[in-house]
Amino acid sequence: MKNDISGIERRILSVLQEGLPRSRSPYRDMARQIGIGTEQLLSVLEDWKEQGKLRRIGAIVNHFKVGLGAGAMVVWQVESERTKQVGEVLAGFEQVSHAYERRVTENWPYNLYTMVHGKSPEEVREVVEQMSRACGITDYRILVTQRELKKAPPTYLKSRQGSRAKPPPPHRVRKEVANGKD
Amino acid sequence: MDELDCRILHVLQSEFPLSERPYEVLARKLQISCDELWERVEKLVDQGVIRRIGASLDSRKLGYSSTLAAISVEADRVEQAAEIISRFSEVTHSYQREHQFNIWFTMIAADNERIESILEQIRSALSLENSEVLNLPAKQLFKLDARFKSQG
Repeated sequence: MKNDISGIERRILSVLQEGLPRSRSPYRDMARQIGIGTEQLLSVLEDWKEQGKLRRIGAIVNHFKVGLGAGAMVVWQVESERTKQVGEVLAGFEQVSHAYERRVTENWPYNLYTMVHGKSPEEVREVVEQMSRACGITDYRILVTQRELKKAPPTYLKSRQGSRAKPPPPHRVRKEVANGKD
Repeated sequence: MDELDCRILHVLQSEFPLSERPYEVLARKLQISCDELWERVEKLVDQGVIRRIGASLDSRKLGYSSTLAAISVEADRVEQAAEIISRFSEVTHSYQREHQFNIWFTMIAADNERIESILEQIRSALSLENSEVLNLPAKQLFKLDARFKSQG
């Protein structure tokens, strides 16, 4: 394997990719699953954070359920000299969750990509118009999201080598923990 | 969702503490009891507002390759295509979008060869032309922040 991580890190990754267990002491439960101490787990995660391998741990919110049901990917065609400046302007909009420069291909000339969210398609369109005015790029396309076909946490490691016990599914309610006096 | 739920969502999205007892840390921050916080979190998970609590990892720094890909299929083949694409564990998200390129998906894989191989398998399974498949790896990241301001 060419991945730059050690054996213990692979074991951590294979458990971490499933999401945190639904427990009041999630790291302790994960550490137990991995077969290491909680302190060791937390120390590796701190290191990953410092090295930028771990961006953050946090709740992934279903944005349809918090009133942001409309979304679109907007692609922009920007001359290469202006890419950085335009990318930064577009990323500055709070309605934008993702902004990337991507490779262009023969039949696909768009090089900047933004994910824009709003309450309604009209709101998204208005924001995109503001974005266009702010950066001066008029060559863009709005690709309205019609349907989510798959959304799964990334699978970094397929077999769970190193995890001792079979872990509980991430969304299972663990009553004994939920009701315990932790 | 009331005002407290919104505050809870905000702190849960911002930074889930790396601590033995993370909910105690958050409860102190929110100035509520840990039991109340836990009850609310459980409810938000049950309601599906919180999909999960997970790690956002930089796949490149961990040694993986990633990309955004798109294919162009006829409307009556979207289901079949979605099913084929979703089978690959390397595919993390996929969406149907209003465009000639109507299925878009992101992948995280061991290396670029694996990404190319998956795209080739998808292309041949759906009998697509090369021009009907786009592989658009990122060159530069400007923003990645999928945290949402709750609307209350």
